[in-house]
Amino acid sequence: METAPVTLPSNETCLLSAKPRIAFFDFAGCEGDQLQIANLEEKLLDILAHVEVVSFREIKTGHADDYDIAFVEGSITRPEDEARLKDIRAKAKVLVALGACAAIGGINCLKNFMGEAFYREVVYGPQAGWYRTYAARPLSAVVPVDAEIPGCPIDRLEFARVVKELLLGRTPWLPDYPVCVECKMAGNICRYDLGKMCLGIVTRAGCGACCVTEGAHCWGCRGLFPSANLDAARQVMDNAGFDRRQVQDLMRFFLGDTRAGL
Amino acid sequence: MTAYTVQMEQLPGLFAAWSAQCQVHVPVALETGFYDFSPWRPGTEIAFEYDVAYNPLKRFFMPPREDMIVFDLETYTAKPVFAAPSILLFGVHPYDVKAVTQLDQLMESGSVDQNYFSRRDAAVIFAMTPLAVSDTAFWASVGADKVDQGFDLYWTKIGPGTFHVEIGSGRGEELLLAAGPLAPATAGSREAARKAQVRAKTLGASRSLRFDWRETPHVMGRSWNSSLWHRKAEKCLGCGSCNIVCPTCYCFDIREEVDEKLKAGHRFREWDGCMLNGFALVAGNHNFRPQASERYRHRYMRKGKYIFDKIGELGCVGCGRCVRACTSKIADPCEIFNALWEESRNEI
Amino acid sequence: MKSRTFSPYVPRPATLVSKSPLSDLVTLYEFVQDNGKNLAHKPGQFIMVSIYGVGEAPFSISSAPIKESNVFEIAVRKIGAVTKALSELPVGTKVGIRGPFGTSFPVHEFVGKDTLLVAGGLGYIPIRSLLHYQLRHRQEFGRISVLIGTRTPKDRIFTDQIEALAKGGDVEVLETVDMPDADWKGNVGVITTLLPKARVEPQNTHVAMIGPPVMYKFVLRQCREMGIASDRIWVSLERRMKCGLGKCGHCQINSLNACMDGPVFRYTDIERLEEAI
Ligand SMILES: Cc1cc2nc3c(=O)[nH]c(=O)nc-3n(C[C@H](O)[C@H](O)[C@H](O)COP(=O)(O)OP(=O)(O)OC[C@H]3O[C@@H](n4cnc5c(N)ncnc54)[C@H](O)[C@@H]3O)c2cc1C
Ligand code: SF4
Ligand code: SF4
Ligand code: SF4
Ligand code: SF4
Ligand code: SF4
Ligand code: FES
Repeated sequence: METAPVTLPSNETCLLSAKPRIAFFDFAGCEGDQLQIANLEEKLLDILAHVEVVSFREIKTGHADDYDIAFVEGSITRPEDEARLKDIRAKAKVLVALGACAAIGGINCLKNFMGEAFYREVVYGPQAGWYRTYAARPLSAVVPVDAEIPGCPIDRLEFARVVKELLLGRTPWLPDYPVCVECKMAGNICRYDLGKMCLGIVTRAGCGACCVTEGAHCWGCRGLFPSANLDAARQVMDNAGFDRRQVQDLMRFFLGDTRAGL
Repeated sequence: MTAYTVQMEQLPGLFAAWSAQCQVHVPVALETGFYDFSPWRPGTEIAFEYDVAYNPLKRFFMPPREDMIVFDLETYTAKPVFAAPSILLFGVHPYDVKAVTQLDQLMESGSVDQNYFSRRDAAVIFAMTPLAVSDTAFWASVGADKVDQGFDLYWTKIGPGTFHVEIGSGRGEELLLAAGPLAPATAGSREAARKAQVRAKTLGASRSLRFDWRETPHVMGRSWNSSLWHRKAEKCLGCGSCNIVCPTCYCFDIREEVDEKLKAGHRFREWDGCMLNGFALVAGNHNFRPQASERYRHRYMRKGKYIFDKIGELGCVGCGRCVRACTSKIADPCEIFNALWEESRNEI
Repeated sequence: MKSRTFSPYVPRPATLVSKSPLSDLVTLYEFVQDNGKNLAHKPGQFIMVSIYGVGEAPFSISSAPIKESNVFEIAVRKIGAVTKALSELPVGTKVGIRGPFGTSFPVHEFVGKDTLLVAGGLGYIPIRSLLHYQLRHRQEFGRISVLIGTRTPKDRIFTDQIEALAKGGDVEVLETVDMPDADWKGNVGVITTLLPKARVEPQNTHVAMIGPPVMYKFVLRQCREMGIASDRIWVSLERRMKCGLGKCGHCQINSLNACMDGPVFRYTDIERLEEAI
């Protein structure tokens, strides 16, 4: 399968040689991804032996400004976020977008389809007037991103794998095929065979189709896979009896910033 | 061929004896109305009248993900990994048996796939004459309504509580007699079994190729430039479902992961499919099958021609799984082969 | 049940004994197997090289088979995961290897004949194995002509060896680049501009060619026009590969597998395959 369409900075730093310093940052998001990482527990400890964590709110306090790998969570929703993200980019050798919000804009982008006054009111209530916000967007809309760990929340085992790949000096691998592949491998009954809707047909695999396995359907939280055929997908949903509105709502849930947005 | 008659009442004793030796898998009805193979336990209700198992049985011989080697980063040595779980598949329909024998041939030729045969040799297959056919299947028209090899036993239900069981191997006979002696088949039971098999063929003929399946490679040979490929592939999601559910598809990717201590790791293979965009993509972004239509065509060429060129059999056993699995409803080999035959029949 | 111990998927350890840059992105690597055995490959074959934790990838063997030496060479362009990891390996470290795999150039058929070797870009890497074999058994072969095309002068590899060869006069060497730089004094143009300049006797010539996918069609047409019979042309075709054993399906060219039926094909065997050229 194709490797992620990004390459590591070509400065020949073999990350293994030194103990790379890693830092975590968050923008507009729920920190659910950092929680997933904290949940790695034993595996986390083994991995942490190879790195130095200089900033990670979920498990430690304090912060340093000198790091090799930056894991950045959350979407960019305010103009002033940009400067902070650019600063992180300038300091980090490798910048990894962590979770759907950072990688694809994710759920934050729902607001991009609402009137500004409306979402400001929803988000900030009476203080609405105090904040400057703009359309939510993924990190890659502002700075180059070296690797992505998509998902809402991220799959902690995928996080562990990506860190190990970075430690081995490798560009992290991302599946370039849709969730259906993993869903079939898992032996699930397709949601379309049950008269339900599912975005597995356009969404990047890597989660093992966990939502389908657990009885739900795919919401698209890992973003589109590179060669997703959206026209065909819409037709599938149409033929399955779902109207434009239903399809639109589902597609906007996570995919608002991608080309899937209607 | 040696054959016995087995009564329904004798089955619990037999299943108990078998499951003491191996993991027995049987067709069962799922809550969703579909059928699939599931581990047998005392009390499991066997779906004798199942139409098709939702998932392909290849997973028993080539699991979706399988470790091939474990390696040590410090000594730079590697060791093979072999798994050989003892399993018994009870009630496998002939087309699925045929798919397994096809995999056997392909895994045997050239370099023998040791991982596959490690599992395969540890498995016992009890075939069963179908009593129902799914609405997407067309196995009767591709010569897969009956098999004469690839099974250890071949069961045919010849009455409400009676089976005619043909012996396919010594191991099969041993297992059949594991709970005590059985009545040998009579001329009457043989005739009843033959009729049941004819009934299966008629049953399976509800969807059919419109021509002799042996002509398929010629039909495909004439169809490289058909406009059908483009027409259909426009709707293709590139989801690979038609590959993944196919009992005769065996392509795989190889990847690896190290442990958290970065000292050792494992290399595994995972199901892959020629319908996925990255299948023929190489470093530097050159894709040897860049168009969806080329990938779409390749799958049918494999099923209808290339596999035939290799082993003299159609690469499709007509199980109909891909027909159902394709949410775009474009993956039906029966429809495509018929359409291409229609298109090109005057060109012979 | 017979218990299994052998798996063709298990690499053997080999040690990197030397490494030297050939161009900005291409490096020559010399290995010896830790088991002390000769690789015993044939020109045109490839091996799978493993860097544990990163992956495995196919590379043509670039050295000639030599009984007296267990060292073998590959030349690799840094382009992805495995190739980047290789480029970072210090001398003395180990890799895993499987193979040699695949078909080779039928050198016995070339005996007593003239040979025309056509190498586009990295295609010179496997061609070099054949050429060096021929040079070691020089008296067995007739005229040898080598045509080499690269994109730019900076992409040329094995330049010293090739220049020495050209000076030696024993082998006809013609080089061209698609895009010259200020210092380039040689031929400019795609590789097909060289063929008319080569002194070949079509009736007595065998051709071996390897290059980027776009190259074959044009060179083959030229060969045909010159009257070189198709059954005397060998092409080496590369595809995505994972297993090297004819199983994983990635390398399919219509009904053939590039890893087992190829990479070296007699042109007449693939002429009618739509996916080959
Ligand atoms: C028979 C053969 C001989 C080759 N000889 C040479 C050589 O002498 N020198 C050289 O520099 N390159 C050669 N290549 C190409 C080389 O194999 C690829 O550049 C290499 O696989 C890229 O691996 P990667 O992990 O760095 O790239 P990634 O893009 O990270 O690829 C990941 C994996 O995909 C597969 N893959 C990707 N590209 C190719 C490809 N072009 N061919 C086959 N598999 C691929 C491999 O399994 C690889 O490990 C040869 C290819 C083949 C098929
Ligand atoms: S349930 Fe969803 S992910 Fe699974 S196969 Fe069907 S469409 Fe694909
Ligand atoms: S199944 Fe879909 S929604 Fe669920 S985790 Fe996977 S990509 Fe996200
Ligand atoms: S191609 Fe379709 S019908 Fe034929 S064997 Fe495969 S899944 Fe069954
Ligand atoms: S049809 Fe495609 S996926 Fe299936 S075995 Fe053939 S090449 Fe592989
Ligand atoms: S299942 Fe249908 S949509 Fe998916 S790859 Fe196959 S033909 Fe295309
Ligand atoms: S590389 Fe796997 S079949 Fe050729």
